[in-house]
Amino acid sequence: MTDPRVTGAARYAEDFELPGMLHARIARSPYPHARVLRVEAPPGCIALTPDDVRDLGRYGCQIQDSTVLAVDRVRFVGDPVAAVAAETEREAEEAVVLVDADYEELPAVLDAVEAAQPGAPLVHSEHEVSGGRAAYFALRPQPGTNVCHRFSIRHGDLDSGFAEADVVVEETFRTAAAHHAHMEPHACVARWQGDALEVWTGTQTPFNLREDLARVFSLPEEQIRVVCPPMGGSFGAKTFLRSEAIAAALARKAGRPVKLVLPRSEEWVTLNRHAATIELRLGARADGRLVAKEVSCYADTGAYADCGPGVAQKMGFAAPGPYRIPNVRVDSYCVYTNLPPNGAFRGYGQMQTAWASERAMDLLAEQLGLDPLELRLRNVLRDGDRYCTGETMHDVHFAECLEAAAEAIGWHHDRRGKGLSVILKGMQTPSRAAVAIEAEDDGAYVLRCATTEMGQGARGALTLLAAELLDVEPARIRFPDPDTAVVPYDTRTTSSRSTYMMGRALEVAAVDLKGSGGRRGYGEIVDEGGLDPDTGQGVASTHWHQGAAAAEVRLDGETGKLDVVRLHASIYAGRVVDRPAAELQTEGSMIMGLGTALYEEVVYRDGQVANPNLSDYPIPSFADLPERLTCDLIEREGAEIHGLGETALPPVPPAIGNALASLGVSPTDLPMTPESVVST
Amino acid sequence: MPCEAPDWLAPETLEEALALRAEREDATVVAGGTFVGILVNQRLLAPTAFLSLGGIPGLNGIEGGEELRLGPMATHRAVELSPVVREGWPALADTFAVVASPRVRNQATVGGVLADADYASDPPAMLVALGARAVVRSVRGEREVPVEDLIVGYYETSLAPDELIVEVRVPGGRHRAIYRKFRSRSHEDRPCVGVAACRRDGGLRVAVGAVAGRPQYFPELCRTGSDPTEVGTAYAEAIDPIADLGGSSEYRRRVIAVEVRRALEELE
Repeated sequence: MTDPRVTGAARYAEDFELPGMLHARIARSPYPHARVLRVEAPPGCIALTPDDVRDLGRYGCQIQDSTVLAVDRVRFVGDPVAAVAAETEREAEEAVVLVDADYEELPAVLDAVEAAQPGAPLVHSEHEVSGGRAAYFALRPQPGTNVCHRFSIRHGDLDSGFAEADVVVEETFRTAAAHHAHMEPHACVARWQGDALEVWTGTQTPFNLREDLARVFSLPEEQIRVVCPPMGGSFGAKTFLRSEAIAAALARKAGRPVKLVLPRSEEWVTLNRHAATIELRLGARADGRLVAKEVSCYADTGAYADCGPGVAQKMGFAAPGPYRIPNVRVDSYCVYTNLPPNGAFRGYGQMQTAWASERAMDLLAEQLGLDPLELRLRNVLRDGDRYCTGETMHDVHFAECLEAAAEAIGWHHDRRGKGLSVILKGMQTPSRAAVAIEAEDDGAYVLRCATTEMGQGARGALTLLAAELLDVEPARIRFPDPDTAVVPYDTRTTSSRSTYMMGRALEVAAVDLKGSGGRRGYGEIVDEGGLDPDTGQGVASTHWHQGAAAAEVRLDGETGKLDVVRLHASIYAGRVVDRPAAELQTEGSMIMGLGTALYEEVVYRDGQVANPNLSDYPIPSFADLPERLTCDLIEREGAEIHGLGETALPPVPPAIGNALASLGVSPTDLPMTPESVVST
Repeated sequence: MPCEAPDWLAPETLEEALALRAEREDATVVAGGTFVGILVNQRLLAPTAFLSLGGIPGLNGIEGGEELRLGPMATHRAVELSPVVREGWPALADTFAVVASPRVRNQATVGGVLADADYASDPPAMLVALGARAVVRSVRGEREVPVEDLIVGYYETSLAPDELIVEVRVPGGRHRAIYRKFRSRSHEDRPCVGVAACRRDGGLRVAVGAVAGRPQYFPELCRTGSDPTEVGTAYAEAIDPIADLGGSSEYRRRVIAVEVRRALEELE
């Protein structure tokens, strides 16, 4: 085995070092909401305090609500108020506790539904929409409230739809905040050479990061270089600007490179997954035909929006589920609270609404006296159907995924203790990818593209595709770490888009290379689309990820403890590029879904994270895995590649919830802890 | 402005260690370091000195016979895998085997888990149920303390500041014992409720761990021949359970009744 990740030779962002560099630590707010009266750094120490950053630009990928340090107000427990740099990590650690600050506490708001009400304390007084490329849809902040984006779908006539319904299900569902628990913490090194900034950082979003750094330091983007070593896991945590601006501002002040690696506990105040409350009403005819659906989503984005507006939008357009429903009304709100910021998390937005939507389908099946599989099959979208956004669906395999999943757990034999779910998941739209291929003198080819590696296997898949297109052994393909100074622009490595988008760009580049002397080829793919934020009409996704899950559970009725004995996912792959990696990605998503279903919750006490360590924040261990954990990746001759890095996560919690419901306990909230099960 | 580094005291004999223990009240004893390490990393503890027992030979013995003698530096993993323990005290081996992960068990020690008095550790409740005693020594002399009197509250023991645990003795002979670890979350979690029960010579000892500051043992509720359901209910009523991330007080009360009953049913 020569995989550098196995031999230990791999060099991650955390391993990167420069001569003469200093080590940094961040001092953070102890209050959820307070006025900052005074911040003083220990004498004789290189430090950044609010006055050092007051004149720097604001940043934020969708809403420009962030400053490098909290300037006059802190907005969550953990909001950075100062940073120090020292010769060693240990000295930095000792110095940071000596940062002295005075605060005047302000009323805080810690719940998204309350925060969305008129009169709630405001986390931000205004919402300045970002002009950057990550603000890829029209934002609808609600002035004078904590709602920084509202996304709506208006399709058909809701009232007449419900008037036609023989049965209506109405329920409120909740999902908890969760943490990514990536193995490698956030790590970066910043260096200035005159007015040019270089940053080595574990990030999925090199170009979005560069754009935000340019705004902070008022530099042209070209004067900033972002290099991306492979990440030791991310799952969405390492997206957009995290702590890179603090390292860069410290480095500028110190006149030396600065390295910043977050201590594990600070990961829980850096980025988490949106907790959500989803109010849902679903109506059907007696034969099971869906006639109307109304959904309100509240996504708790914490103190800074990050990509929360995008999360709320995806929640909104995933909320109808993969069904034909003639009358749909959705309102999805991205809401500020005085909690740590929430952002991208494997399959973002989809998990929350899949939980609500797929639990509601089983509630409906129960009321109608229908087999939940049959109810779904009567309503799932088929090829050529139009979704409630108005777009026509193509290459549709929901029924097939469902039937395969049901078959895998012996659904037709006995349904007790078993549950199913099916989801549709959008891919980043609009979306752009580009790659340059360069021939080397030794017969090898170099791929220059911005696709980053976080353990998901994009490097492996793209290497295989390139080798096939160029007709060489995979070993002849070189794939250096993405460097914004030399790679063409790419939207970002998120939303399971890279193998599909960059794979298509590679095809174009290979043709270009062959047609232009064989030395250099360039390929670019641009997918247009997008939704009207007020009606939800347009193209939500140029390409839909489709998947179903099936679970069988055993319940200890006396303690409420749930054991998942069987878990299966059927995912539409179109065409599999790297089978072992694709299966591992799918199993990884399922295990993460299991954690979301049963264990994981960031617990806040008065706004403070109560479990910021891997002992108190429980992720599944191998001993927690179902007795049988399996997946199948459905392929079709001639079909296009479908990304699958996330698809198997969202359907897992509702499959498990529906299995539990078949035993007479009907859960509405995640995680399904034993205590919540006995009190349901 | 680096702080002064703490002293690292590393005696090579037990006598030397006891002398240092008497002299340096400021020193925190380090055995396997799994607990102390966390406290230091979380800045809950910043001692001026550490007294390490790791360099003293002969403190990690495991010997069977009339009774089991465990050295204070015997690791959890050693107890778990010891043929002597597996043969004569299988429930004790099972208990040490469910603590955390192999990596932690290779480091954590028998003396450490008692001296830490962490409410959510597994072994103390089992040691109480088995009627184990700690041999405790200082420069002033030696005494034996039943484990139920050694741990007196949350992270609190009856050890004097100059004392060290030098051995743990577990009665031998015919007995039947069981440990049931109920986790409310993932498999590597600490217990929400840990029930240890032992029947010996017609007597019964039930100790419930992870629910209060010390293992909960009520001799008066362990009358021989009592019905498992009745003992479970009585324990649930007698205990005032803690609430933590693993479960509320009310939930723990419910689980205590169920798990005590199940432990006794399994013993029958």
